[in-house]
Amino acid sequence: MSIMEYNGGSVIAMVGKDCVAIASDLRLGNQALGVSSNFQKIFPVTDRIYLGLPGLATDVTTLRELFRYRVNMYTVKEERDIEPETFAHLVSSTLYERRFGPFFIEPVIAGMSKTPAGGLKPFIAATDLIGCLNFAKDFVVAGTASSKLFGVAEGLWEPDLEPEDLFETISQTMLNAVDRDAYSGWGVMVHVITKDKVISRTLKGRMD
Amino acid sequence: MFLTRSEYDRGVNTFSPEGRLFQVEYAIEAIKLGSTTVGIKTDEGVIIAVEKRVQSPLLESSSIEKIMEIDTHLGCAMSGLTADARTMIDHARVTAQNHAFTYDERIKVESVTQAVCDLALRFGESVHDEDAMMSRPFGVALLIAGVDELGPQLFHTDPSGTFVRYNAKAIGSGSEAAQAELQDKWHSKMTLQEAQILTLRVLKQVMEEKLDHNNVQLAQVTPDKGFEILNETRLKSVIDLM
Amino acid sequence: MPDMVSLSRAASGQPSQFKTPYSENGGTILAVAGSRFCVVAGDTRRTDGYSQTRYAPKVFRLTDKAVLAVNGFSADGNMFVNKVRQQLEWYRHGHARDMPLHEIARLMQTMLYARRFFPYYVSNILSGIEEDGSGAVYTFDSVGSYERDTCRVAGAAQSFMQPYLDNQDDWYTRPSVHYKNQRSTHSSSRPTQLPLSSVLSLVMDSFVNASERHVEVGDGLEIYVVLAKGSSLQGLEKLTGAQEVTATSDGERVFTVRRSLRRD
Repeated sequence: MSIMEYNGGSVIAMVGKDCVAIASDLRLGNQALGVSSNFQKIFPVTDRIYLGLPGLATDVTTLRELFRYRVNMYTVKEERDIEPETFAHLVSSTLYERRFGPFFIEPVIAGMSKTPAGGLKPFIAATDLIGCLNFAKDFVVAGTASSKLFGVAEGLWEPDLEPEDLFETISQTMLNAVDRDAYSGWGVMVHVITKDKVISRTLKGRMD
Repeated sequence: MFLTRSEYDRGVNTFSPEGRLFQVEYAIEAIKLGSTTVGIKTDEGVIIAVEKRVQSPLLESSSIEKIMEIDTHLGCAMSGLTADARTMIDHARVTAQNHAFTYDERIKVESVTQAVCDLALRFGESVHDEDAMMSRPFGVALLIAGVDELGPQLFHTDPSGTFVRYNAKAIGSGSEAAQAELQDKWHSKMTLQEAQILTLRVLKQVMEEKLDHNNVQLAQVTPDKGFEILNETRLKSVIDLM
Repeated sequence: MPDMVSLSRAASGQPSQFKTPYSENGGTILAVAGSRFCVVAGDTRRTDGYSQTRYAPKVFRLTDKAVLAVNGFSADGNMFVNKVRQQLEWYRHGHARDMPLHEIARLMQTMLYARRFFPYYVSNILSGIEEDGSGAVYTFDSVGSYERDTCRVAGAAQSFMQPYLDNQDDWYTRPSVHYKNQRSTHSSSRPTQLPLSSVLSLVMDSFVNASERHVEVGDGLEIYVVLAKGSSLQGLEKLTGAQEVTATSDGERVFTVRRSLRRD
C-alpha cells in the first residue's frame, strides 16, 4: 500500500485567457472506505493565489497551517502580498527541507501574477512530494487520479479559454477522471481566478 | 486355408474378402427385432413415437423408457438393444452440455448426431495400452429429433455410425410396412397435429396389440417449447382424434 | 496489470530465486460499439524496457464478424490469437459455419480460465457484430472474466483514454459514447450511439493524445472497422487509406485504416 493513496484525492489546475482554474474532489477516505464527502483540499493563500494539497490527509492540515504561517511572516516582513512565483518557491523549499522524511503531498498552485507592465497573467505550478517544481503552460495534475486527469485534460484543454469555458473544461475533466478513480470523487470543488474576482462552485458528482 | 464366413465373424473389426464387416451387419439386423419407432418432421416441429411391447399384464408399462431427452431442444427415440442406447444418449447429453458451456449456444442437431455416431465405431478399439472400452458394435438405432437455427430436423443413426436426415422414418420390427405408409402419407405442408395422428396410425397398423395410451409413447420437439413427452391426457386426446 | 509473480514474492517476503516468465510490452488497444458497426484500434509500438519495435500489430481479424485485440505480454497475446483461430477453424469444420460473436466470447472465457494458474498475460478486447446486427465489445481479464461493453480501452494508456472517451458527448447536444458513465448496471438498454465518422475521429484523437503523454504508445495506429450485414459505407469510402479485408461476400464487411503516430 502506498501512503500517497491512503486517503485518496486529486487536484488539477488549468490556464485560460486572463484567468486560471483549480479544482479538486471532495473525498476523504481510509483506503477503500469513504469517510467524508466534504474534505476541502484547496485553500486560498492570497486574494489571487490558491493552493491545492492532494495526498496524505494529516499532511494536508499540517501544510495548510505551515504555509499560512510562512505566508503571514512573508507579508508582515515584506509589507506586500506574496507573488505566485515566489510562493511556488516557498512551497518547493519547504518540502525539500524534509527531503529524507517528506510530507506526502504533491501541491498544485494556481494564481494570477503581476507583470512588469502592471497587468496580471495566469500562473500555475505543481511539485512532487520533495518540492521539484513543474511550471507548465497548459495544465498540471496531481493525486490518485492524476493519470486519468492527464488523459482527459490532454483531450479537452485548448489555449485561451474564457473563464466560463475554462470552468466547463476543468469541471468535465475532473468529473470524468474521478469517475474512473476509486480513491477520488464524492463531489468536486472548482475555483476560477480572474483579474478582478474568484468564482467558486461546488459540483455534484457520482457518489459511488 | 479357405476361411468360411463364420471365421470372419470372430474379429469384430476384420473385413471379409468381400469387404464386409459381419458384426456390424448383424448389429443392424438386431434392430429389426426391436419395437417399431416412427419419426416425422414438419415445419412446426418433429414428432417421435414408439411402441412399447408390454409382455406381461404384471409389467408397469410406464417404466418402459424408449424416448429420452438429450437437451431442451433435442429428443431421441430408440429401437433395438435399448440398453446400448444409454451409453450413446449419455454421450449426447454430455456433448450438448459441453457445447452450451464452452460456446453459450445450443448445439445443432447435426452436430449432436455426429457426436453420437463418432462413438459407434469405437468397438474393439484400444488406445495405447488401455483395454478397449467396447467389445462389440451397438445393437441400437436412434431417431434424433431437434430444432436449431436451420429449423426442425430428424436424423437416423445406425450401428455402422452412418447418419442420414429424413422427413419421416420408421425403424424396428415393423419398419418396412411403416416406412411404406409414411412414404404414402407424408407431405411437406403437414401440421404438427397431422403428424401426431400419422405416427400413431402407422404404429397402429404394425402393432399386434390394440393401440392405447399404455403401449405407445409420443414426444415432440417444437421451436417454442422444445422437447416434451406427451402426458397421458394429451396422448389420449391424440388417440381419440385418430 | 498487477504482476502476479512479484505479488506472490512480496506476500512471502522472500526475494524469489526465479525470473518471471512474463514481460509487459506496452501499447494500448481500444474498441467502440456502434448500433450497426464497431471500431477496434491499437497502436503498433511494442516496447521491451527502453527498446522498441515500430510495427507489431495487436489487432487481428478472426472472421468477417469478429476482430480480436490483445494487449500485455505480446508473446502470450500472439499465441492466444493463434489458439482462438485454431478453435474457430475446428468449429467451422464441426458445425459448418462461422462462430457467432457471443460464442467466441464464451469460448475465450473457457480458454483463458483453463490457464487459471499459469495465465496468458493478456488483456483481450473482442469486438464485432452480433447475430442481431448490433455492434458489440467484449472485454476480458487475463483469466477469463468478461462483460459486454460499449466502449473500452485496455493497456498502458487505459487510464488516459478511458475517462476521455467516457466524456465524449459534446457535453449537452450529442448523445454520448458511454452515456457519461452513468448507466445503471441493471438496465439492459445500451447508451445511444455515435455515427461511424465521429467514432473514427474520436479514436484517432484518443491515440494522438495518449502518444503525447505515454512513452509506450506511438509509432503507428491500426484501426479495424466492421460493418453489419447490408449497412452502407457511412463515409468509409472517402476515408484515405481505408482498405477492405472482407473474406466472404454478402455478409459483414471488415476494413482497415492505418495512421502514423509520434515516433519519439
